[in-house]
Amino acid sequence: MPLFLPESILFCFFPHTHDVNTFEDFKNERFTGGVQKNAESIKRILPSEDVLVYAFTTNGGVACALIYADGMVNKQLLGDLAARPLSALNDSALTAETVKKTVLFPEIKIALTPADAAREILDGNALLLCDGIDKGVIVGAKLVPARAVTEPQTSIAIKGPREGFIEDVKSNMALVRKRLKTGNLRFEALRVGKQSDTSVALCYLSGIADENVLNALKKRLGEINTDVIIDSSYIAAFIAPRRYSLFKETGTTEKPDIFCAKIAEGRIGILVDGSPIALTVPYLLAEDFQSADDYFISPFAATIFRFIRFFAAAIALLLPAFYVASQLFKIQLIPLNLTLTIAGSIRDLPLSPSLEMFLILLVLEILKEASIRMPKYVGLALSVVGALVLGDTAVSAGFVSSPAIIIVAFSGICLYTVPDFVETGSVLRWLFLIAAGSMGPFGVVLLIAFLLYYLITADAFGAPPLAPFAPLIKRDMKDSLLKADPYSLALRPATFKPKNRRRLSALPLSRPTGGENGEENGGGNEKSDKPTGTVNDAQKITEKIQSQSTARNDETARNQTGKGDAEQGEKIR
Amino acid sequence: MKEICTTLPPYAKAADGKGTSADKRGVEKSGAKKAFTPLILRRQLCFFAAFILPVSKLLEAPSLLAYFSKGDLLIPAFLHYVLQTGMLAVLLYVCSKSERPLYARLRDVSAPLARTVYTLLAAYYVFADLFPLLDLERFVYTAFFDTPPAVSAFLPFFLLSAFLCTKNEKAIGRSADLCMPVFLFAFSGLIFMALGEADFTQLLPLFGTSAKSDFKAFYQSLVHFSDAPLILPLLSSYKYQKGDGKKITAAYAGGGGFVLLFLAVFYGVFGSLAPRETYAFDKIARYFTALDVVGRIDLLLVYMITVVLLYAYALPLQLSVQCLTRAYKKDNDASGADAEKKRLIFSLSINGALLLFVFFCSKYYNSLYRFIAAGMFWIFPLFSVGLPLALLFLKGDNDNGKNNSKRHKPPDLSPDPTKENAAQNEKPDDVAPSGEEIRDEKKPGAATTDDAAKEAGAK
Repeated sequence: MPLFLPESILFCFFPHTHDVNTFEDFKNERFTGGVQKNAESIKRILPSEDVLVYAFTTNGGVACALIYADGMVNKQLLGDLAARPLSALNDSALTAETVKKTVLFPEIKIALTPADAAREILDGNALLLCDGIDKGVIVGAKLVPARAVTEPQTSIAIKGPREGFIEDVKSNMALVRKRLKTGNLRFEALRVGKQSDTSVALCYLSGIADENVLNALKKRLGEINTDVIIDSSYIAAFIAPRRYSLFKETGTTEKPDIFCAKIAEGRIGILVDGSPIALTVPYLLAEDFQSADDYFISPFAATIFRFIRFFAAAIALLLPAFYVASQLFKIQLIPLNLTLTIAGSIRDLPLSPSLEMFLILLVLEILKEASIRMPKYVGLALSVVGALVLGDTAVSAGFVSSPAIIIVAFSGICLYTVPDFVETGSVLRWLFLIAAGSMGPFGVVLLIAFLLYYLITADAFGAPPLAPFAPLIKRDMKDSLLKADPYSLALRPATFKPKNRRRLSALPLSRPTGGENGEENGGGNEKSDKPTGTVNDAQKITEKIQSQSTARNDETARNQTGKGDAEQGEKIR
Repeated sequence: MKEICTTLPPYAKAADGKGTSADKRGVEKSGAKKAFTPLILRRQLCFFAAFILPVSKLLEAPSLLAYFSKGDLLIPAFLHYVLQTGMLAVLLYVCSKSERPLYARLRDVSAPLARTVYTLLAAYYVFADLFPLLDLERFVYTAFFDTPPAVSAFLPFFLLSAFLCTKNEKAIGRSADLCMPVFLFAFSGLIFMALGEADFTQLLPLFGTSAKSDFKAFYQSLVHFSDAPLILPLLSSYKYQKGDGKKITAAYAGGGGFVLLFLAVFYGVFGSLAPRETYAFDKIARYFTALDVVGRIDLLLVYMITVVLLYAYALPLQLSVQCLTRAYKKDNDASGADAEKKRLIFSLSINGALLLFVFFCSKYYNSLYRFIAAGMFWIFPLFSVGLPLALLFLKGDNDNGKNNSKRHKPPDLSPDPTKENAAQNEKPDDVAPSGEEIRDEKKPGAATTDDAAKEAGAK
């Protein structure tokens, strides 16, 4: 028997577990007029003991039943606002309309099939069944246990909003809606996972997001046919165009403010129930080097910090490799005095430079893994053991050299300047180390050349990850490694091919302008978003006010029609 | 069975011809008679000419020119650039005469002719890269190793090259974008470090050596300076627009400026020792005084340029694979699967053959040099001068007053939701939805959605 079989053959031999019930299996069942039969239908779909049936009768003698998942609904509300008013009804026959009017919940909908109703029950809503009604009334009395909205541990903001996503998709949608109060914000709900039936919400700004990407995304999400979606990372893995890519293919964030900013640029977001991490596509590598703080501080400082992060990441990846390569193959890379120091420290070492570096990096990774998962009260002890025992003692015992420890420690710290790049960076650091140990600096350069070429060809959802550098998109450079002021970011990034490109409607009077043409050009002209010159003339100012007003009105109209500047741009071009 | 199919991720569906095959793009997608979607942009061609092509002149060429021409080394280099710039202008003129790719135009004349020309071109690229690859190997041994390296130390280059060869012209264009800042940063850094040590009076007197020596230097260095054929296949994947000729030619001349500057600094630094200083650009900045304190940080800049250099030396092999793929792929290969398969086969074959060549022939460097640069030097002008001039005889779209509008249908640029992935791949880089592409296809008098929108707005 061959070791590796194509997936299709494997699926033939080991088909999906068809004996497991799914909602699809009950999609042909319908509600009847009898409450008893309907409740039995529901219990057939949801036979679990935590799905409770509360039966009661109205004053008019109509039998009713409330079915809900224990622990997921607010029972007191259900009793006060649904069961009690219904019980008081004297009608001998009830209709769905009467029930809807009597039950005092703001969120009520009708389920036509037991399968739909069962899905709602598992979502935390309650199902109300009444004799004589061949429909189920869904009462939104959800009380799902959820943690509070807090600042995410992975992206602490020094300045700026501190709210973070939580595990409840509805709350996350509300956090987004709170920030983007526009009718253009669209959520499209999908269900993924045969057993988990996880809610997935596609989030985008209509009239801005590229529909091709949206359709591609929907198609890929629709093709996911797995049992359980526990976290958004499952979705990320399933929608990724490349299966074995070393680099991320979807952006991630835990903060609604970042999420909204990305949506507003023309990306499409994915919120997954049960996950505090939201996904965004398309993803650019430059995103990892940006921080929320960059938008709350001066552009100069933001640019400097971004360059620092970039160099820190380069140091994190390449420093251990070059240290090994220089010792083994190209000693000229190290200054003479430092060479003498290193020579003194490695004189009696039993390990080769590459093996030594390999060992220390391994220890670093182990310490990192352990410190993340260890209880906090053990963490201090671990730091002591890691730093003092393993570090200092290993040097004293002559296992490893001090320069190697310094380099690995510095490399480890540098990598954490770009938190979103840590996983990829750790793997790359190993690869560079292996290349350096076997082929010297030439191996490192070869690997860099390979990775860069891979990145420029690895388009995902229509966007190359190395954009705006390769392909070079001049306008998008203003918010890549560089960070221009908000006035310069008048247009949305062209990388995402947004339908409406202009995000800054008009320039303020205090801002120097490049003449009337720039304003008149609207969305299409690249030069218009970088004005030069100054308006001194009073008449010009008056004209400008008028033109700004017109531009604002035009912009509003364009947004409303959902067409916007793309067309305007075409005309001008 | 249907359920099984849906469990497969989307990338697994390329084989059926409807999926996301990377090759469903570009040139001659729907037969040779249609106008094509450009895979490379003018800007990328300019960067390619200005920043990738010059790096291949920084290894062996300076010491070679200095050996024959001494202080006059700028003269043969300048002559090379004048000649190649002229040939590039000729190629761009040929390109400007038709909207269709070169292969389709050649095939209109004769299908066997097109196939023969492209096969010969492919062979030429491999031949033209033989000696430079040996040069690159020696450079790697010099710049990257203080200790004697293993015999196989250079061979992983062919892994990279094989990978590069499986990509199409779009990747070459993007690599040009990427190489621009890398080259500029590293080159200016090296020149800055070397400039303080350069004594430009060593270049004087101008015309100090005989014309015969200069001529000898000229033809002996043809192997390094024959650039025009390298741009030829890229022009086939590019849509000429008015004024592009001047810009691309100027970019190439600008690249020549980098080379001439480097040659001047090189001779200024090394003077009469220059002929011995092979693979100069890893040594040119080593006398910079600050390096005594901080170590050879100039080598980091050298390594940065080496990334560009690796792309530049793999480029002829890439072009060779492109030419062979175009010549031998099936005509009705709408999905691009056949092209992808052939590209992989040609890539592995060519790189495998060259790996063996480098492995076994590197010790015959001098003999090979004499054979290629002295004995077979006529091949280079044949392809870099003769071929562009011969292409002038190709008919353009409007030659002989013929109206070719029927066979030059504008490409359908309307979005097709069923092919969204392919469409994303086909679009040239950084052209926004309202970008230049649409403008270019707009024919005078033809009603477009823009015009309709305009009219609606006016009403």
